[in-house]
Formats: sequence, C-alpha cells, structure tokens
Amino acid sequence: MAAVDARVDTGPRADGTRATPARRGRHRRHLREYLLFLAFIVPNFFFVLTFAYWPVVYNAYLSLTSWNMLAPVKDFVGLDNYVDLFTDPDFLGTLRVTVVFVVGIVVGSMVLGLAIAVLLNQKLVGRGFVRTMSFAPHILSGAAIGTIWLFIFDPNYGLVRPLFAAVGADSPNWMTSTTWALPGLIIVYLWKNMGFIATVYLAGLSNVPRELYEAAALDGSGAWTTFRKITFPMLSPVTFFLVITTTIGTFQAFDVLALMTAGGPGSSTTTLSWFIYQQAFKAFDAGHAAAGAMIMFVVLIIITALQARFLERKVHYR
Amino acid sequence: MVARANLSRRSLLAATGGAALALTPLACGGGNGGSGFAQASGDKVPDQYAKRTHVVVWHAYADIPGNALAALAKKFNESQQDVYVEVQFQGSYDETAQKVTAAVQAKKIPDLVTFSEVNWHNFYLNDLLEPLDAYFGSGLKKSDYNQKLLNEGVLKGKLWWLPLARSTPIMYFNKTLFHKAGLPTDRGPKDWDEWYGWTRQLKGIKVKGKQVRMEAYQKIDGDWQFQGSVWQWGGAYSNGLDVTIDQAPAVAAGEWQRKLIFTDKMAYMADSPSVDFQNQLIATLVTSTGGLRGITEAAQKGGWEVGTAFVPGKEKQVVPTGGGGFGILSYAPKDRKEAAWKFVEFVGKPENSAYWTVQTGYLPVIEAAKEQPDLKKLLADNPNFSTAVKQLDIVRKEDEVRLMVPNANILIYTGLQKIWTNNQPAQQVFTDVAGQIRKATDKVRKNIEKHV
Repeated sequence: MAAVDARVDTGPRADGTRATPARRGRHRRHLREYLLFLAFIVPNFFFVLTFAYWPVVYNAYLSLTSWNMLAPVKDFVGLDNYVDLFTDPDFLGTLRVTVVFVVGIVVGSMVLGLAIAVLLNQKLVGRGFVRTMSFAPHILSGAAIGTIWLFIFDPNYGLVRPLFAAVGADSPNWMTSTTWALPGLIIVYLWKNMGFIATVYLAGLSNVPRELYEAAALDGSGAWTTFRKITFPMLSPVTFFLVITTTIGTFQAFDVLALMTAGGPGSSTTTLSWFIYQQAFKAFDAGHAAAGAMIMFVVLIIITALQARFLERKVHYR
Repeated sequence: MVARANLSRRSLLAATGGAALALTPLACGGGNGGSGFAQASGDKVPDQYAKRTHVVVWHAYADIPGNALAALAKKFNESQQDVYVEVQFQGSYDETAQKVTAAVQAKKIPDLVTFSEVNWHNFYLNDLLEPLDAYFGSGLKKSDYNQKLLNEGVLKGKLWWLPLARSTPIMYFNKTLFHKAGLPTDRGPKDWDEWYGWTRQLKGIKVKGKQVRMEAYQKIDGDWQFQGSVWQWGGAYSNGLDVTIDQAPAVAAGEWQRKLIFTDKMAYMADSPSVDFQNQLIATLVTSTGGLRGITEAAQKGGWEVGTAFVPGKEKQVVPTGGGGFGILSYAPKDRKEAAWKFVEFVGKPENSAYWTVQTGYLPVIEAAKEQPDLKKLLADNPNFSTAVKQLDIVRKEDEVRLMVPNANILIYTGLQKIWTNNQPAQQVFTDVAGQIRKATDKVRKNIEKHV
C-alpha cells in the first residue's frame, strides 16, 4: 500500500515542490476510471435500491401500521400485527400448510427430477423427445397449467376419472376437498418443476468425469454404490443450487394455487404467499399482509443461510 | 490509493444521498393528497372522437353482460358529439376493486366504476366516491329507478352508488329431470321442507351414469346465497354491527346443508354450481338472476328445459339483493365526472335499460323499462324472466357486516367451505367466524359509525 500511495499526487510537498506531470496524468486517469465506474454502477445501484431494497424497507414500515390501502393516514401500531399473527390459530395453520407444501414440493421435485435425469442420461431410443417433453411444463404459464389440471382432476369429466374407475373407485373431489386439495396442488407443482430440475441435473451429469466410473467399474462397484459414492456427491453443487432456488420459488408459488384452489377449501391450501395476497387485496389490510411478507422474508433468509451452512459443507466442487 | 479511497467515500455518500432523494417521492406516495389524479390509460382514442371528453369506465362484466355494456357504450358514442366513453373490463368485482385501490395509490384513476354491493362501501368509507344527487336533472330522475334498489346506494341521506346490474338469487330447476322423477314441473317448491321431500324422489335419477344431486353450493362467494338461507331460517349475519352468525338460526341453516351433503348425499360444494347445473349434475340451483340468459341458452343446447321459481322459505320467505352499480370517483376532474354522468343517463334511458335486462337477465332497475316492447314481450313470453321481477317484493338489503366490514364475506365463505367439505359442525365453525368478524368490526367500527 505504501508503494502505491507514494505514486499518488498529494499536492505541494513540504519543500514547496509540486508533483511531476507524469503523476498528475496518472491521477487524471484514475479519476476518469472512477467516473466511468460510477457511470456503470450508479444506474444499477439506483434500480436495485429502488426495486429490491426500498420495497423491503417500506414493507417493514407498513408491517408496523394499520392501513386499509385507501385511507390517507397509516396508523402506527408497533408490533401489534405480528402479535395478532402469532396468536391467531388460523395463521399458525397457514404456516403448517406452507411447511407441508414446501417440503412436499422441494423433496418430491428433487427426487423425481434426479430420477428422470439419471434415466435420460442413458442411451435410450427417443431420449431427446422425452427430454423436451419433460422440460415443457416449466415454460407453460401458471394459468395454462392450472386450467389443464383443473380439467384433469375434475371428478366428473377429468382424465384421472377413468384411472380410478378402472379399479372400481370414484375419483376424489380433488380441488373441493380439504383432504385432497393440498396433495393435488403438490402433484401439479411436481409436474411443473421436475422437468427443469431434470434438465439441470442432466447438465451436471454430463460433467461427471468418465474415469471415475471406469475406476469404480474396475473396483467392482454396483450401480447403487456408484450412484451413492460418485454420481450424487459429484452432483452436489447442482443439488445445492436447486434446493435453494426451488425452496425460494415454492415459498413464493402463487399462480397455479390462485387459479386452482384460491387457498381453499376452508384454509386447507392457504400458504403464506396466498395469505399475504388475501390480506392485502381481499381484506385490504396492508399491515397484516406486510407483517406476513416480513415473516416470509425472514424465514427465507434463515432457510437459505441454514442451507448454505449445512449443505455447502457437503458440496463437492471440482 | 488513499486518495482514491477518500474520493470513493465522498462519492458514495453523494450517490447514496442522491438515490435517497430520488426515493423520497416514493416514500411519500401512500394515501391521497386530494389533487394530481391522472386518468387511467386506455386504448388510443379513435380519430373521430379525439376532440371529445374521454371517459374511462372500469367494469366487471365478461361475456354476455360485457358485450351488452360495450354495445351500449358504442351506441352512446354514436348518439352524441361531446363525450367518448371507453369501457374496460377489469375482471370480477373483487378484482376491479383491487385495481381501483391500486389506481388510487398510483393516482391514475378511472372516472366511472361498476362496484359490487359489497365493494362500493369500502370506497365510500374512505371518502373516494362522489355523491350523485346533484347530477340528477331532466335527463334522469331518481324517481325513474326502482326505489328499493336505488335506496341501497343511499347513506347519510346521499346517493353514492347507482343500480345497474342488480340481481337477486332465484331458484332454477331442471324441468326435464323433475319430470323423470315425477315431480311437478309447473312450479317450484313451496318451502324448503317440500324441496327436501323432493330430494328423495330424485334418488336413482341418473345422467350419463351419475346420480343427479339436488343442489350444489358455490365455493367462492357462496356466502351471498347462504345469507338468504340464514334469513329464511329466521336469523341474520348481523344486527347492525352486532354479529349474530353464531346464533341458532344461522347454525340451523348450516346444519341443514351439512346433512344434505354428508347424510343424504344429495348436495355438494362445487367450483361452479352453475356449470354443474348446465351439465345436469344437479336438479336445482340457487343463483343470481344474472345467469338466466346463459343457463337458458345452455339448456336449449343440451336439450332440456329450465324453470325458475322464488327461492323457497322456511321460517320466512326472503332473499337478498346483490350485483353491481355505478360509482363515480370523487378525485376525477369535474368535466370528466359530468361526462361520465352523461353515460349513466344514457344507460338509464328506458330503452337502454330494457336492452340491458333483455340481454343479461339482470333486474330492470328503471321502472319504465318494463314497458318497453322488447322487455314486455320477453316477460310475457318467458315466465322465467319475470320470476326475479316478481320476487322483488320479498327482497331485503344485506346485513351490515357483510357489506361494510372488510373481509367479512371471505371469512364467512371460508367457514362455509369447512362445513361443506370437512363436515365440521356449523356451531363450531360459526363461533370461530363470528369471533373473527367481531375483531375485524372493532377495527373499523368508528369509521363506519362516522359514515353511516
């Protein structure tokens, strides 16, 4: 650092002499570089601040108020909204539904996605077609997915009805039953997610060095041992990435849920994201909605930090 | 390097300060300041209408009523030289209210909005609606309207919400299935007890291999019809702002439906009972008069016959009103409010009101519309269209908590879903719902009492 500092023009010296022209030139170049840096960073900084961080700060403020989104005044109520939520059995029920929803979808999607990826990594006839088909649900809009699955699940006309009829049973009332609505939604999200997860895993599988498998084969390793000792550990960076992004995405899942169940019947599919929407745009209760959003924000940060701490330890980077 | 670090800190502070200043207007953005409201954007105004006052109408009508309103707007635009009305469909009543709320925050508002009988109160309670009394004149008089329906928009002696797509629930029944079951086809049931007796005769009647049920309950917004049931059983959701949904009559009405679903297996909850009725999965349906046109067309296509009747009574025979009406946003500028009123006047002309009713099945809100040839002929030729008009004698304004307490309707229909799908006892559900509504009422009680 001292050597670098010595090159900087710091104005007149103690003996009255000034810095050399070469040093002044360097200073101007540094200034130009700095201004260029600012020109690039300030617009991005501004937009990130405005559209990412400011809403969080403003939401935190709203969570401390009572406001119906129309009145000119927001009443400051301190932590009342949080106290209301954590003492409301329905909200605690919402958290329970959210945990089942997220765990079901994340674990299910990862297992199915990996299974499909391993399968599609074999040399099979029509592999390219199946890869494309399995990825297709990921690019469909939530509205289209919801509409298709409402038809599939329809107990009177749906595509699943003949399957149940074949074994002499009636199709459940998937979307109008408190027992079946949540499993039904999880099935839909699994279908939507697993193609994307399989595709990312496939990319990961193609990076696993062949020589590891050759060495394992020479050592007489079986398929399951090879998967457990080589494939899965070598995919750990991909798993780490997918677990975090799928968890965050599932917490925020809204579109299919809104179309298919709207949080019901009763509160059987009311997840945290639906609760926030309902409080804000059905009940016009910005305070409780914002408090719910802050809880989701904190929960996601904690989960991501825990995943980073515990999963990354097991991640094997090449 | 030190110099660069110093420069960096100063500039960073300056940049941060600049960004914070830039954010200041956002931070102050909540609420309404009373001025500076722009008009909600729309399509490009056609060249021939470019010099007129442009009025943006947000409405909640899809398909048949949406087309009817668009046709009225087109006719209005062609009928005069001063105003150009642009009608914009915004989704359901709830979605329209959500968008108006967002529009108020963005200070970019429509001029005229169709609010439901529930939603308009929220905007009134926040002083966002224009009193309409001063707009009436020779073109349109208050006395032109059905007074019962008109008075539902009056609070504190002023009119805030004007009837348009008003309805009541009526009972639709499938005459063809009734005939198969040996039930009368020329009338509806006298009361719920007779109706219940008919469910037994319907057992064994199948369509496409499926047992036909007697009725289905609407998953979302089914609390509107259930309010009528509670009244018919002698109760109410509330008496003023005192919540009474946990009292015996409401519980009895809930238990009646629970028994029909889980004991008799002749009813169920459906996403759209109307669609199920059109597909002959149920033999009777209690829903809005606004569905009449669509159901009649579906019956004709399906080769079966539909009948309508008053909703049966139990202790009392009484039904709620519902549906939508016009509200003008007070923050729109004076010239656009006056221009919006011109369109309201136009829709209120007897021939246009009659056209609206003939097209949609909604109640004729203008009394003189009933004398218009098209509507007169329809009422004479098709008795189904006259059921709702006759039933107007037994309508009652909805209970105050459903109308004025935000989220009360959702709390009620979410509770009903638990009865309908989870077989939860009605008393248990309604005790819980009543507690939640009382809590919500306490939050807004002062404001409601100030405005009502």
